[in-house]
Amino acid sequence: MLRVEEIGKSFGGLMAVNGVSFQIEKGELSSIIGPNGAGKTTLFNLLTGHLSPDKGRILFKEKEITGLSPHGICRLGIGRSFQRTNIFPRLSAFDNVQVAVMSWRRKSSNIFLRVQKMLREETDEILESVGLGDKKEMTAGLLAHGDQRRLEIGIALGSHPELLLLDEPTAGMSPEESGRTVELIQGLARERGLTLLFIEHDMNVVFGISEKIRVMHMGSIIAEGMPEEVRANQDVQRIYLAEET
Amino acid sequence: MTFQGLIIQLLSGLSVGMVIFLIAVALSLIFGTLRILNLAHGSLYMLGAYLCFWISSTLSQVSGAFWWSLILAPIGVALFGGFLEALLLRRIYSREMLEQFLLTFALILIIGDLCKLGWGVDYHVVDTPWPLNGPIILGGIVFPRYNVFLILCGPLIYVGLSALIRYTRLGRVIRAVTYNREMANALGVNVPLVYTAVFMLGCWLAGLGGALVAPMCAVMPGMDMVVLIDCFIIVVIGGLGSLSGAFLGSLIFGLVTAFGILVAPRLAIAFGFILMIIVLIIRPWGLMGKPE
Amino acid sequence: MMESFFKRENAGRAIGLVVAVAFFAVLPLFIGEGSISLVNEMLILALAACGLNLMLGYAGMVSFGPAGLYAVGAYTTALLLLYTKIPFGLALIAGPVMAGIASIIVGWFCVRRTAVYFALLTLAFSQIIHTIIFEWYGFTKGDDGIVDIPVPEFLSSITNYYYFSLIIVCICVALMWMIVTSPFGKTLQALRENPDRTESIGIHVRRYQLSAFVLSGFFLGIAGSLFCCFNKSVFPDYADIMKSTEMLVVCLLGGIYQFLGPIGGSIVYMFLDKLITGYTQYWPLVLGLVILGLLIFLRGGIVGFIVERVAIARQGSRG
Repeated sequence: MLRVEEIGKSFGGLMAVNGVSFQIEKGELSSIIGPNGAGKTTLFNLLTGHLSPDKGRILFKEKEITGLSPHGICRLGIGRSFQRTNIFPRLSAFDNVQVAVMSWRRKSSNIFLRVQKMLREETDEILESVGLGDKKEMTAGLLAHGDQRRLEIGIALGSHPELLLLDEPTAGMSPEESGRTVELIQGLARERGLTLLFIEHDMNVVFGISEKIRVMHMGSIIAEGMPEEVRANQDVQRIYLAEET
Repeated sequence: MTFQGLIIQLLSGLSVGMVIFLIAVALSLIFGTLRILNLAHGSLYMLGAYLCFWISSTLSQVSGAFWWSLILAPIGVALFGGFLEALLLRRIYSREMLEQFLLTFALILIIGDLCKLGWGVDYHVVDTPWPLNGPIILGGIVFPRYNVFLILCGPLIYVGLSALIRYTRLGRVIRAVTYNREMANALGVNVPLVYTAVFMLGCWLAGLGGALVAPMCAVMPGMDMVVLIDCFIIVVIGGLGSLSGAFLGSLIFGLVTAFGILVAPRLAIAFGFILMIIVLIIRPWGLMGKPE
Repeated sequence: MMESFFKRENAGRAIGLVVAVAFFAVLPLFIGEGSISLVNEMLILALAACGLNLMLGYAGMVSFGPAGLYAVGAYTTALLLLYTKIPFGLALIAGPVMAGIASIIVGWFCVRRTAVYFALLTLAFSQIIHTIIFEWYGFTKGDDGIVDIPVPEFLSSITNYYYFSLIIVCICVALMWMIVTSPFGKTLQALRENPDRTESIGIHVRRYQLSAFVLSGFFLGIAGSLFCCFNKSVFPDYADIMKSTEMLVVCLLGGIYQFLGPIGGSIVYMFLDKLITGYTQYWPLVLGLVILGLLIFLRGGIVGFIVERVAIARQGSRG
């Protein structure tokens, strides 16, 4: 579904992403792990069009999407949630998701319709599926951290993505909350036939739900494979141990 | 236009530019470190001019009265600025730009009227001090000595400030806070104090500018807005937060305006804005600034 | 439960609206011509501020130069009425149309940048407009301004023009309400809250920002044209930074996150202005202190404060 060929991006003299290539099949649940500064978020930014690569290509469903803008990529079916909570703070939870849904249904530029009742069922359905059904009138900025992270995902779902990129969805959560979020995400992936690609630091999450893991270090992918393979990989162990010292 | 005329125009532009440089560099410094655009800087400049007038006329029996006011007026403005910073500005550092704009605009209104209250609406004159009164005559060019003095002040202040920032401990601390406020805080720097110090330094510079310009032009209400708009142009061209940018911008602005008056006197005012727009579109962080 | 609450609020809003319009409609019967003139001026200022707030409060775009577009509207109408035989209605409409065109040009440049650079760009453009008006003496009469603008017979009385303004302002406010409660309006708010995320959900941010800018300019132009015919004169300081700031203060005074904020702000501002200038020449000082007070104590603006109090009272009464 997604094919990345040798993409690279540098900032000043620093190569944040250096010749990364991989493929993702439809329906796959995979993650990218690696120490801080390995280039994972930069990679995501390249995939969603927030940055354009200096070299290489990105193909989504066999169509080239390298260098497209974020709003174009959203339309093609790639959605994303962000590492630092990226919601619309002064709007209600309902509004947060509704805006995304309206955009997907191409109604955003309309000045004649009344926004109050629009796309209510669809928005409610998404809010329910991320567990915020009872909080939909609350101001997003006042929600608890965990709820905000779930709203993050809700907004991404509003754009009906086929491929969902999740940047540290359980960041800042307690183990129970992480577990619940993971179940939520798994459920969503099943119901909606989503292909998921995570960035995660929480190893329980990573090893618990990924079918495939890619390890990044200093801008390149140094290991790729099923969880057990990666766990046993010498290089990977070395990097993580080095990080601990 | 004779060659002499051209030189005079050039020097004229430079002297104007160098005075505005003082305010522009203060504006830039404050924006670079405190991240706010202080609209009231023109008013602080005006306050400096009024203080200079007041002190020199109060001390008119003392010889060298002007030089005393040149020392005291900027200090007065700096103290006033410190008071403003502690009382008001501190509250709005974390607020949105609109609120910062309106607060500093409110200060323009207040300081402007306070000056009117203190010194009336008529204009005041400060005599050019000895030994700088009178002209310099060089190769057929007649040019006021005082303006030459002003032109020399610019680079002097620029060098002094650069040295302060680069070589002194205060300068290092300022740079640290500018670069990363949280980190500096974590390392034990008293960030609020640094903010106050930087603001006071900026006010001192504005006050100095006002005091320096007093003998050259009438001290009157309205001088704050004229200089403010010119300052914006300069800091945008040079780069918000950059010392050398402010210097370069002042030079460019002074020259462009001076020659603009020669070429198209009625539209000369617009030249500055057009230059500002061009820079904002092509390279918004200015000639010497850093992209955010 | 949510539905019925909303409906009740809607009915309350509708009643409030009718009462307000009725109030303004019957006001001339009770007050003298001088006061009618003041209220008229306030209505036009409210319209300008509401226009500005489309961009400011809803799209989160802080402009330092709304007066430029306001002046374009005013001068276009003035020049047409002075130099040509175009019917009054057309001259009036030409104002906002011209302002809209100017907004497209100015806005195209300005939305390429954000935050403080955007604001400085709007300032620069409005200063350029000011300079053009000021310097082009042959065309715009420069600093002298244009006076004795011919206005149709039936609008030359103060009361008549008041009703004319009231009707236009009501129509415009209704239009703006429609825009603000539409999907477009909601998307603008999302833009204000988080431009990055808005782009990620499929919105072409620049295009929406430019649209907000142009809509804003259009309504500012209407206000300018209305004021031109109200005052029967125009001057370069209609494009001045002081005028721009006046509009910003009015918005902030009322509360930029409330639809009615600018209207409330305009009422308070005009009231304060006329009151204070009656007593002292130091109106700027008082205004400055008022702004400071506002920023320190009443951050949501006056209307914002009222709305908050009402909400708290409602919650209290529901136990």
